[in-house]
Amino acid sequence: MSRLVNERLTRTLLEAVVIVAVGVVVGLSVNHQLVLDDFAGRLAPVSAPAPRSPARRMTDPAKQPPTAQFPAPIDLDGLRAELQEGAVAVDARSPEAYREGHLPGAQSLFLGEVRGEIGGFFARVPKTARLITYCNGYGCPDAFDLGVTLLASGYRDVLVFEGGYPAWRDAGLPTTQGAAP
Amino acid sequence: MTGRRLFYHGCRLALGGIFLYAGLLKAADVTAFARNIAGYQLLPYSWNYLVAATLPTIEILAGVLLLLGRKVRAASLLLALLTVVFIGAIVSVVLRGLEIDCGCFGGGGNPSPWLALLRDAGILVLAHFTFHLRETAKP
Repeated sequence: MSRLVNERLTRTLLEAVVIVAVGVVVGLSVNHQLVLDDFAGRLAPVSAPAPRSPARRMTDPAKQPPTAQFPAPIDLDGLRAELQEGAVAVDARSPEAYREGHLPGAQSLFLGEVRGEIGGFFARVPKTARLITYCNGYGCPDAFDLGVTLLASGYRDVLVFEGGYPAWRDAGLPTTQGAAP
Repeated sequence: MTGRRLFYHGCRLALGGIFLYAGLLKAADVTAFARNIAGYQLLPYSWNYLVAATLPTIEILAGVLLLLGRKVRAASLLLALLTVVFIGAIVSVVLRGLEIDCGCFGGGGNPSPWLALLRDAGILVLAHFTFHLRETAKP
């Protein structure tokens, strides 16, 4: 009796494993380009480990794969190093949130008004600049969406700092108050 | 058809329908689903896309099998295990104080974590009865 139950359970588990295997194969087949791009570091809010220092930066702007449609992620240490190297932080939050506190030197480009603001942004920031977008942290998709918009607008070197302003502030790093110039 | 069989088929069809619907919504926008998964901050970055690319098809497959009445025990067991994983992920979000879209049915719904947990508990009940009543429901 017990043996029969064990056999049935084993068979059920094996069938479940087969369902998973078939699902994975079909899913990877349908989304193979997405997954390949992901593991090649050509996309994501989610891709290969974030560059932690300039020595590990993926590419210079000219060598960035032309197929990049999504900004790659960067962590806090990487962000600090990149800002010291001259990267431009881009704040995707509202002007009010920017005024209350932002990363030193950050450009304000509110995602909600990006169409009206992008012209001025083009004038201030060259297309060859390395941009790092941020907003209100992990629950906030605006930094990623702004990164996608900037890549579609001709910028080729865009990263996203998913920890956002809260992670920067909570790490005790300096912030700046005041409206965008 | 006895009441017991009717109850079994109700649980099976509801469970299959829920996961077919959820899987189709997620599969329709894999990038958005990857973003939902990233919000949980549980996986390495690359894995978010990998999971987003494969989980919806697993849900769709298991949902279709349940609706067709094939491999019912395996499909319901698999969905129960997945639901337990989802519950663990949502509990971890609550404990860490994160405010995220659970991504349970694609993006945008953004129910409270407690509502998502309640829904998952209901799914576990459906999976339990589907799994255990399968034999008694055979003609």
